[in-house]
Amino acid sequence: MKDLSIALEKFPQEERSEILRDFEEHFTLGLEEGKTEEQIAKSLGSPNHIAKEMYTTYRIEQVEGKATAGNILRAVWAVIGLGFFNVVIVLGPFIGLVSIVLAGWVVGVTFIATPILVLLKIIVAPETFIFFDLFFSVLIAGLGILVTIGMYHGTKLFRNGLVRYLKFNAKLVKGGMAHA
Amino acid sequence: MNVQFKKGVLELCVLVLLAKQDHYGYELVRKISDRIAISEGSVYPLLRRLNKDGYFSTYLKESTEGPSRKYYKLTDEGRTYLNDLLQDWQAFTDGVNQLIEEGV
Repeated sequence: MKDLSIALEKFPQEERSEILRDFEEHFTLGLEEGKTEEQIAKSLGSPNHIAKEMYTTYRIEQVEGKATAGNILRAVWAVIGLGFFNVVIVLGPFIGLVSIVLAGWVVGVTFIATPILVLLKIIVAPETFIFFDLFFSVLIAGLGILVTIGMYHGTKLFRNGLVRYLKFNAKLVKGGMAHA
Repeated sequence: MNVQFKKGVLELCVLVLLAKQDHYGYELVRKISDRIAISEGSVYPLLRRLNKDGYFSTYLKESTEGPSRKYYKLTDEGRTYLNDLLQDWQAFTDGVNQLIEEGV
């Protein structure tokens, strides 16, 4: 019980006391049936494992409520913590996809910024100005706006997909059975 | 038995038990562990998850002896979910059983 309480440290107070309440009930009823505390604790399994599972659920739930970057990262981290296997199967694709999303944003924003660069060039070196630069930069900026809009939707899609995948993964990898 | 395999089944067991009547946590754990070898602690995370997904509601009920007990009650949403799971399970076991019959 004490171990579980310690393992649950990462939870907010309210959740934590609720979880502990459930387990206290379990212990009390077990004792009433004439089992010893050791027996009950043994069949419950590792407190660390239980806490990990609950923490993952909690984290994923936070992302669903409010998908900030921090929440997403913590959820991914919690899911990875479920098993070594997940380091490969979650972390790899996650880093890859985040890079793609990030790259998309950088491209979009840089494209939009090109007319500014042309203006800078006019100020710094007015004698090299040609109209082609201006037209072309406006074209690129238009493209940039399209890319950015696309990325906006893409990111949303990515986020939703990620949440769904984390849920699925947590369900699959989560321990649960005796003698895993 | 294979770990992955039993995990999904545990969810099904909990839902099936609750479909008949409301239960409290300890009761659920005992009923399941009487039949299959589970690590009992994992039932509670499962209950929490299903509760948060809206498949259960909970209420506390005083008992004549001992502490008040937290009862779990299946919601309509939970019932729909259970029916989906049962169908999957049926199709799955039918398939496996046929393969076994052909094989042995």
